[in-house]
Amino acid sequence: MFSVGIGGNLREVRCGNLAAQPKGTVTTPAKQQHILFVDDETNFLDTIRALFTAWSKSSWQIECATSADQALEILKTRSFDLIVVDVNMPVLDGEQLLRILARRYPDLKKAVITGHATEQRRSACLANGAELFIEKPRSAEGLKSVFTMLDELVTWKQQAGFQGMLRRVGLQDVIQMECLGRNSSILEVADRNLTGRIYIEDGRIIHAVVGEMTGEAAFQKLLALPGGSFELQHFEAPNERTIEGQWEFLLMEAARVQDERTPEPPPATGPVVAPEPPPVAETPAGPTSISPRVAEMLICSGQGAPLYEWQCADVKTRVALMVEITQQARRVGQLLSLGRFDRLEIQLPAGRAVAQIKPDRMVFVQVATGTENS
Amino acid sequence: MNNSIEQWFASCAVVPGILGCGVRQPDGTCVSQRFHDSCSRERLDQALQNLGDSLSSYSAHGLAPRWLTWTFEQGQLRLVLRPDGRMLALAIQPNTPAAENLDLLTGEFLALNLAG
Repeated sequence: MFSVGIGGNLREVRCGNLAAQPKGTVTTPAKQQHILFVDDETNFLDTIRALFTAWSKSSWQIECATSADQALEILKTRSFDLIVVDVNMPVLDGEQLLRILARRYPDLKKAVITGHATEQRRSACLANGAELFIEKPRSAEGLKSVFTMLDELVTWKQQAGFQGMLRRVGLQDVIQMECLGRNSSILEVADRNLTGRIYIEDGRIIHAVVGEMTGEAAFQKLLALPGGSFELQHFEAPNERTIEGQWEFLLMEAARVQDERTPEPPPATGPVVAPEPPPVAETPAGPTSISPRVAEMLICSGQGAPLYEWQCADVKTRVALMVEITQQARRVGQLLSLGRFDRLEIQLPAGRAVAQIKPDRMVFVQVATGTENS
Repeated sequence: MNNSIEQWFASCAVVPGILGCGVRQPDGTCVSQRFHDSCSRERLDQALQNLGDSLSSYSAHGLAPRWLTWTFEQGQLRLVLRPDGRMLALAIQPNTPAAENLDLLTGEFLALNLAG
């Protein structure tokens, strides 16, 4: 079974069978793991190299770099199973390095180890591709814990049935992946107090239930959970279908609700910037693969005032487009007696765009599908 | 009207849920077929002209649609653009075989051989 923690400190993949393996009982020779540590503190690197090599019984081949630049140079010449990055480094810091690594080496496992751990930094590092975010230990015992965590990460393998899924995943990532892949599945979401289910059929979210609540309200409640876990299960048709909306809008609404709950002061001018949408999971199609991603999104009030935007090059122009779409749809809807307008979907040569117009909200999302090298 | 389009219109008649369909030719003329009382040919033509005339606004916004689907409370309208300049409008009822086969109908129209 594959279980993923969401939110809090649980946003790291846990793999029960690996965690259950007692250390030191392996009878076959351990696979050599190549690990690159990046830290500007040479003393720390020396300690790590000595201790971790010993604790791994020399199954870890450790390389060290004292700067991000040096690490990138080393990565050009050799491949690694794991890179462990410090956050505070001169010139190019750990977060910047993670961004580069996520782009250039998406399959490389990444961990962050820092002496200055904050919630904001942790979120940023996870968002930039780190699978683990660990505070720098101050004792030998702490170092042993770090070693154990890194050892589990480096030896963890993707589970059958989840090929192509990113290791660092969240509930929204999985929903996006299932919808974009037009899959059918059930996501069982649970925290300490409740369990709910989200039904996805052929890439459409058709039903959600939590307790006695169903429909979009249940979906939003499950996505708003601050922590917990979820499991992807085989699809079985639900007894009822309570959701008809586009999955993009459902996810964006969830992001909006979550964002509104986050007590952050708004910027002095301009529209509020929405949190970066989660990356869409990649398919395991070899060196080149189609990788759908949210390329742009904009949420406005019913009057066209921007509320959230993501990579929207010209907000005013997009608002103008949505106003045009509204007027045009009104004319055509009246002509053909089709009733109230809900949304326009535009199939593009490399993706699609959706504009949803509600009395109190206008939403524009563009999803791009491009070919890229992994 | 091109025979292929006529034949295709006729084939649409057997798909439950199509309210009407129409094609705008590159010269701006429209040919329409209604399958339901609620969707007159004149109104379909008008909708086709209206939508066709407004397509340029999408390219002005950096969007190059291959087809567009308007979803309303009581139906959907799909506009399909062929590279030869012909444009199809399909008005359908929700939750019908036509709605389920909208992509298939779109593909058929795009694949029609309308040469000559």
